[in-house]
Amino acid sequence: MVGVTDIKFLSPENLLNLATDVVPLLIMAVGMTLVIYIGSIDLSSQSVANMATVLATVTLPVAGAASALVVMAAGLLFGAVSGIVTTRLKVPSFIATLAVGGIALSVAQYVSGQQALHMDAGQRNHAFGWMQGSTAGIPHELVLALVIVGVAWFIQNRMTAGRVLKAIGTGEPVAVASGIRVERYKILAFALSGMFAAIAGLMFSVKLSGGSPTLAEGFLLPAIVAVLVGGTPLTGGVGGVMNTLIGTMIVAVVRASMLYLNIPATGQQIFFGLVLIVAIATTIDRSKMRIVK
Amino acid sequence: MTQRLTMENLRKWVPLFVLIGLVLFFTAVNPNFLSLRNFARIAISSSPALMVATGVTFVILMGSIDLSMEGTIAVCAVLFALMLNALGGSLSGAGWLAIPGALLIGAVLGAVNGLIHVKLKIPSFMASLSLGFVGIGLSLLITGGDRILIEDPIFRSLLTVRVGGFPLMAWAALACLLIAWFIQDDTTVGRNFYAVGGGEDLARASGLNTGRLRVTGFIVAGIFYALGAIFAVARLGIAETETGQNFMFVSITSVVVGGTSLSGGSGGVWNTLVGVLIVNVIGNGMVVVGLPDYFQDGVLGLLVIAAVYLSTDRRSLFFVK
Repeated sequence: MVGVTDIKFLSPENLLNLATDVVPLLIMAVGMTLVIYIGSIDLSSQSVANMATVLATVTLPVAGAASALVVMAAGLLFGAVSGIVTTRLKVPSFIATLAVGGIALSVAQYVSGQQALHMDAGQRNHAFGWMQGSTAGIPHELVLALVIVGVAWFIQNRMTAGRVLKAIGTGEPVAVASGIRVERYKILAFALSGMFAAIAGLMFSVKLSGGSPTLAEGFLLPAIVAVLVGGTPLTGGVGGVMNTLIGTMIVAVVRASMLYLNIPATGQQIFFGLVLIVAIATTIDRSKMRIVK
Repeated sequence: MTQRLTMENLRKWVPLFVLIGLVLFFTAVNPNFLSLRNFARIAISSSPALMVATGVTFVILMGSIDLSMEGTIAVCAVLFALMLNALGGSLSGAGWLAIPGALLIGAVLGAVNGLIHVKLKIPSFMASLSLGFVGIGLSLLITGGDRILIEDPIFRSLLTVRVGGFPLMAWAALACLLIAWFIQDDTTVGRNFYAVGGGEDLARASGLNTGRLRVTGFIVAGIFYALGAIFAVARLGIAETETGQNFMFVSITSVVVGGTSLSGGSGGVWNTLVGVLIVNVIGNGMVVVGLPDYFQDGVLGLLVIAAVYLSTDRRSLFFVK
């Protein structure tokens, strides 16, 4: 539709730019998919990504490219904590992840000293310069993102863990009764979501060459929208990583077309909020919820 | 049996003991903590939060949750300020109409929230989270990101005039809390909140229209968010989209820490008062003791996890999503 109003919209470069801009969002959404897939939710992604931008910027001068590992480990850790709190302490996931998000925010503010930090251009190019380049016109970032999606897809479809996650999403009591150690796999899903959120934050901070405790603000809503619009319902069990890839593309196109049609950014937020409600209402599996709380 | 009863009773008073313990602790570290001036400061920071937390208490009592407060507060605050300034800029003139106006807006937003949750059968946390985003977008759209100043001395007297050492705002908030207490204990709607939270199947089987009740709960919550918005504006003299910031985390924390269980049916507005005071005493105490304020979010996060953990009756749960 937007292609009609402006023919430039459909040019290959524009589509490529569109895809590249959306990379951090895609990665975060893919992580979130794993958690929604089991019927839980992760509201800490944005805070973990914020923390990742700060940690990446701070550790870069010390660790070089290894700072990526530090950041990923931190994300994994925070995700795992969310998972443990949800499963072992029986705290509902939305409140557990909200609380863990608060902790991540504190860490980010503490490490950054509550200010925006900048990466040294030379060090950044040395460690992560390859991320910004492109081969045969295709940006490396995009390739990396697709590789990451591929890994998530492999986990979901070709590994025992993925099959178990599907079982949990389809019917947790059944999974428990079949003797599966459900808690372990749930913690794994949360941990992976945390790690993906951290990678998203890392790539975002490399892109903007800096970090701050509020850098990734505004990622949470589009990430959830991408998962749900893609077709993974809030109740879990169906959908998956590939759906989220499509969902993210939809979000990206909607966003870009709103720019073309001169709708202000605030309008986007209202629009995505409403889209979210529609998406949930149409995809949710009500047979799993006798009482809607 | 008597053993268990005393345990239950004890558990009921734990939040209050925690509050007293915190006050004693901070006083021991820095005697300045225990002064009327500092308590007035805590009262000022608690007043808006108390209103918001009281509102969400009703929703949590029903076993639902409302995460839309940041958006609702932003919209109410901004529209309240616009109305006040458009109607002459003073509460002494036609400007007082801005107060019922803001409450009405809060009620409408609450109703939308409740209707979407009930009619579309969407879990409340997700419905309200989405609407919260919509609300923030809406208030940004209205203000274009600008701040709206309010200079009316009568309105500002909520902060500036003190009675018995505490600003008028604190007394007003206390009055609203008493109204909330009345709603909770002495009205049919209030009693029914407990019935739904205690067991929706039973409540429905005994003939309650649970759908309508849930919507009512969200409307009441919306009205209290609007009150919170008015106090928040009175505190700073500024209305902007940022006015709502951080209220979601703080108010949910307060309710939970006060001892109202997230699964519904137990707790109440007095628990929420204790919870709000705990959260604000920690916030104030950390500054008085000399800890940087950015540790607050982390401490609150740990507090929430601990409180939910302690208040959950794990015998009645099979699995948790």
